Amino acid sequence: MTAGSLLIVGGIVFLSGSALLAFCWAVRDGQLRRLKEAPRTIFDDDEPVGVPTDRFPSRK
Amino acid sequence: MNKLPVIFVGVLLTFAASWLGLVVYPFLALGHMQSVPDEDTGGYFPPTLSGLAVAGQRVYAANGCIYCHSQQVRPAPLSTDIEKGLGPRRTVARDYLRAQPVFLGTMRTGPDLTNIGLRQADANWLHRHLYDPRSVTDWSIMPSYRFLYKMRKIQGWPSGDALDGLTGPLAPPAGYEVVPTGDAKALVAYLLSLKRNYPLPEAPMPPAK
Amino acid sequence: MKPSSILSSLNPATEPDSLASHERAEIDASTRGPVLLFFGSAVFWLLAGSLLGLLSAWKMTHPGLLDSMAWLTFGRIRPAHVNIVTYGWAFSAGIGTGLWLMARLCRVPLMHSRLLVSAAVFWNLGVLVGVLGILAGDSRSIEWLELPGYATPVLFIAYAFIGVWAVIMFRYRKPGHVYVSQWYLLAAFLWFPWLYATANILLVWQPVQGSAQGAVNWWFARNLLGLWFTPIGLASAYYMIPKVLGRPIHSYYLSILGFWSLAIFYSWNGMHHLIGGPFPAWMISASVVASIMMFIPVVAVAINHHMTMRGHFDALKWSPTLRFTVFGAIAYTVVSLQGIAMAIPSLNTLTHFTDYTIGHAHLGLYGFFSMMMFGAVYYIVPRLVGWEWPSATMIRWHFWLVATGILLMAGSLTFGGILQGLALYDPTVSFQSSLDYAIPFRWLRGISGFFLLAGHVVFATLFILMILKVGRRREGPALFAAPDDDTSATV
Repeated sequence: MTAGSLLIVGGIVFLSGSALLAFCWAVRDGQLRRLKEAPRTIFDDDEPVGVPTDRFPSRK
Repeated sequence: MNKLPVIFVGVLLTFAASWLGLVVYPFLALGHMQSVPDEDTGGYFPPTLSGLAVAGQRVYAANGCIYCHSQQVRPAPLSTDIEKGLGPRRTVARDYLRAQPVFLGTMRTGPDLTNIGLRQADANWLHRHLYDPRSVTDWSIMPSYRFLYKMRKIQGWPSGDALDGLTGPLAPPAGYEVVPTGDAKALVAYLLSLKRNYPLPEAPMPPAK
Repeated sequence: MKPSSILSSLNPATEPDSLASHERAEIDASTRGPVLLFFGSAVFWLLAGSLLGLLSAWKMTHPGLLDSMAWLTFGRIRPAHVNIVTYGWAFSAGIGTGLWLMARLCRVPLMHSRLLVSAAVFWNLGVLVGVLGILAGDSRSIEWLELPGYATPVLFIAYAFIGVWAVIMFRYRKPGHVYVSQWYLLAAFLWFPWLYATANILLVWQPVQGSAQGAVNWWFARNLLGLWFTPIGLASAYYMIPKVLGRPIHSYYLSILGFWSLAIFYSWNGMHHLIGGPFPAWMISASVVASIMMFIPVVAVAINHHMTMRGHFDALKWSPTLRFTVFGAIAYTVVSLQGIAMAIPSLNTLTHFTDYTIGHAHLGLYGFFSMMMFGAVYYIVPRLVGWEWPSATMIRWHFWLVATGILLMAGSLTFGGILQGLALYDPTVSFQSSLDYAIPFRWLRGISGFFLLAGHVVFATLFILMILKVGRRREGPALFAAPDDDTSATV
């Protein structure tokens, strides 16, 4: 194996490993908590859950 | 999933892995290939292109030939390219050393052109085909490239460059001839150079039958 | 003002994630200039691109059509069409949608709009100059990257403005949860410049030698679709579907899974465009495996959207946005599964080099992405101009024309492509047979182009009428009336 290939394969292992570690950190740090409330954050007091916000315009 | 750093780092790392594998690795491994010497003639495989053929690559690119024609011979048993006569052997990375850009192509609306220089060694046929495809291949849907040619009145004697044997509705009337422009000559020189019938260490020629 | 919004103004910490209606209207209004500029550009490019696409399609069944001029030859108008619909229509619509979503999700009014207006001007300039260059014969002849070297730096500058703006906006967002749409948008904004810079450097400025170009080319092209357009389309779907219905996304866990598995697997897919090509076997195999692993994010997204919609499919009758968005979401699932199938070498043998690939490409960039964008435009524009769309009938015509068009196109090219592929594979038949099989399906594809163009003309008309404020004034800054008043609506 050439030095170049070793570098590449090593790089892939390092980067993928780091990605996995970062993900594990995110889980432990609580970045992924509040999964129940999270989807509700796009609703507001006057556009609350249960009220649709789009329709065809009234016909002319 | 609240902080910018998490998303940033995660996005970066997952992406960097594929960037290394599909971009950097081919760049290092394939991007510095050398041609191999040909003991018989003292030349190299793949052979160098003439200046006219190199100019022809530019004409090929400018007119979008890749959108209908591929330039790669795939191996059996995955494909029947070799059985169908697209070439004596599959194409490998080293075959494309001289190509700029590399015209691998992704469509076969028209036939594969890897070895067109072997199938059609006649420049005049190639010119006639470019000028009016349906005059030589009546089922062809290739557009005419007659804008690469000039129709003009014959001055004294017919020009040595003039296309021979044109028929069909685009054929010149009596007293006129069709001559190729520099672009057309370059393109045909390039097409004639398309042959992969030389051996390479990683792709030997099949034994003659 | 309602009591609850006064309360939240007095004590913002109690409801950090929710907006009062006047705040939301203010945010929407702040995005008006840049978003309408990008949407307007998008509509222009959509029309131009549809015309060129239609011409290209008919040149394949009638090769003598307008064939005497160099700038109209198929090999030039086909890449011009692709670059206009990609970098002109799809990019502009995607950025316009992304800007509005970012402002909404950051919960602050848009800042530095001049940066975005400059970006729009530069972007359109770059696309215009680039496309004219292609028609003049300066195409790079690298798929999805044909724009000549004098146009790409202009696009890069435009993009830099947008990227900087996105980072600033995110930095100054209101504290609170970062919604899934925003992860997708941020990821897309980070991925694109890396993709574009790498591809331009290694293919245009300092071209790498030999077939490595193919690898870089298809790494770029695949990722343009999967790591730029797909995230923007999904960002829109994840916002529009719940917002229109008034129902939160079914499973946030699935959204997280979907996002990260997309990030990990998608970028390895590129080589599946080159199966059998001149590359080391491991690269192709890696792409095939990654393509199959795409099953995970695609199914995660499909389940999420379906379960959110479940029991509420009648909403498709009264919401234009939902109609287009759900069509797009279904198309996303179908085209992704189709793509996974195409990556399997034994099936790839049949589909490679055929019209099947073209059908697939259109199902993705049009059936999925463009339909998503139509849905987004229908939701966003009234909230920017303060007027309703002038005609429900025209919206319905738009939908049915383009839905018919894309289904006809994808269906005919898929079927025709398979027959073409069988003929290309069969060693006992001539090349001509592959053409003969394809002919009737290419005719159908050509007809579908008329449906699409007609739909786009309707859409453009609606958009222009909105800009000219022909519609009825809306009842309030953010609310449409409830759907119960319109139970007699025709489909």
